Amino acid sequence: MIALFRTEFVKAAVRVRTLVVVAVLIALPTLIVVAIKARGDRPGRGQNGEGLFRLAQQSGLLVPAAVLGVASGFLLVVIAGLLAGDSVASDSAWGNLRYVLMRPVSRTRLLLAKAAVAAALIWACVIVVALTALVAGLIAFGSHPVTVPLVSGGGVGSFTLSTTTILVRVAVGTAYVAFGFTALLAIGTFMSTLTDTPTGAIGATIGIYIVSEILDGIDQLGEVRYGFPTHYLSAWQPLLTENRWSGDIAAGIIVQLAYLVVFGAAAIIWFRRKDIRS
Amino acid sequence: METEAIVEIVGLSKRFGDVAAIQDLSFTVRRGQVYGLLGPNGAGKTTALRVLTGLERPSAGEARLFGAPVTAGTDSLRRVGAMVEQAAFVPHLSGMRNLRLWWEAGGGHLRDADLDGALAVAGLGDAVDRKVRTYSQGMKQRLGFARALLARPELLILDEPTNGLDPGEIREIRELISRLSEHGSTVLLSSHHLSEVEQTCTHVVVMNHGTVVADGTVSQLVGASGAVFIEVDDRVRAEALLLEVPGVTRVTIQGDGLVVEQSDGSRADLAAALVGGGLRLETIMATQRLEEAFLELLDGAGAPPPPGAAPPPPPPPTAAPTAGEVTP
Repeated sequence: MIALFRTEFVKAAVRVRTLVVVAVLIALPTLIVVAIKARGDRPGRGQNGEGLFRLAQQSGLLVPAAVLGVASGFLLVVIAGLLAGDSVASDSAWGNLRYVLMRPVSRTRLLLAKAAVAAALIWACVIVVALTALVAGLIAFGSHPVTVPLVSGGGVGSFTLSTTTILVRVAVGTAYVAFGFTALLAIGTFMSTLTDTPTGAIGATIGIYIVSEILDGIDQLGEVRYGFPTHYLSAWQPLLTENRWSGDIAAGIIVQLAYLVVFGAAAIIWFRRKDIRS
Repeated sequence: METEAIVEIVGLSKRFGDVAAIQDLSFTVRRGQVYGLLGPNGAGKTTALRVLTGLERPSAGEARLFGAPVTAGTDSLRRVGAMVEQAAFVPHLSGMRNLRLWWEAGGGHLRDADLDGALAVAGLGDAVDRKVRTYSQGMKQRLGFARALLARPELLILDEPTNGLDPGEIREIRELISRLSEHGSTVLLSSHHLSEVEQTCTHVVVMNHGTVVADGTVSQLVGASGAVFIEVDDRVRAEALLLEVPGVTRVTIQGDGLVVEQSDGSRADLAAALVGGGLRLETIMATQRLEEAFLELLDGAGAPPPPGAAPPPPPPPTAAPTAGEVTP
């Protein structure tokens, strides 16, 4: 299994496309920090990413949270969809899959290795964004405790986060954002087993996420939305903006795991039975 | 005495929806044989090889390698080198890195593979360190050969192996197959190049519309489908002797020799009669080549069945054809 993981990792990691993705992920936080710095102290709308951006001006330690807040809504979705949807279909498109499968290699193990490589690269992308943002943030704003205004029960108060607390909570948020792509990974891997065309699998995977985000914005759908893979993606942000652990974090983890089980099982069953024609 | 069965295809059928790609296919390849799979496009050759390498699941019947049923990723594949359809690789990696990753994906170290021998066959020189996307089709095909040979395979499965190669390379591949056969490897190859099969293979399966049209040695296939040309020191006496051989229907003197037509029997029977009669036998050969026999067999096989039609009755037993027998 380790040998399979290693060989699949090399195939995926040394592509020019992967290097371009890494370059974009390094450039993005840098540009955002430059933009925040240029923007100065003008007040924002005070919601989600905007709130985090405002707080980030007090301490560079919060920049990773602000950047992840916006990047996880689209850019990281596209990249994760690319990595997951491409996992099996690219080998099919090259005609190489049949040669890999003409080795005494279990199809289940090969699929797990490909999915694990996609997962590792997705996590690596999220971590690259967070670390680059941290470095850029520290350079631009320094490392300081943060006092966060809090509106609750009609009163206005505040709480202070120490640098250590910020670092720990940003690390938790980074891990949660990375884990939040688990459903997308499972869906993308399943799509990738269905077709020999990588663009088809990638497009379908990203499309499902976009539809999920659109439907999640329709309040009239009620509790159905709780099952959408995108519903709990921002559940980590109250750790920094409201000084509380939200129960939505646990719910988000459960939803992601449910998608992993359902689509992971579907991918394995389909791939084991599939005729390799490419 | 028959050698070990390396490949056994037994009543194999494969359908894609309403289309029957293979219908009740059966043949056996024994150790040391070089078996040619001949047939027009759509005959089911590649599908048969895909089932044999575990890439596709049969709709009915069974494929066996080294006595074990073929399943996806079966351990028997460790003893097989294969190239099915065109050689394909990860394009952004070098030829060498492709070989290394392919080998290591199976759990082995490249030092255990016959890398030097495989690279010698590929003959790519320094180009083996270039990215595969810069290769010509011929270079990919040769690298594909190298990959197939890495495991020092007991069985080599080659699907149209000389596609994309120039005449010199084709000759090299033919000689390679002969060398592998001499060293005890078994080879199963499909090809459109009839002359290649004629020169390379010891045995031939002719397929059409997914079924076996004929199965036997190349000489059986060629000899049984046509007349035999003989040169002896006394043509008149030879004519009389040959007409007494069972199965001989007609003997005509033609040029310096005689042309003998048989309803059954073999060239060995004719040779035995002539030598037994005290004549000196200088030449005995089929008057037609494999290409003519092949086309004759396909003509005799008739039109393809309509989609969804019931499969035709199975062909006669093919595992051990008698001398001169071709099973239409």
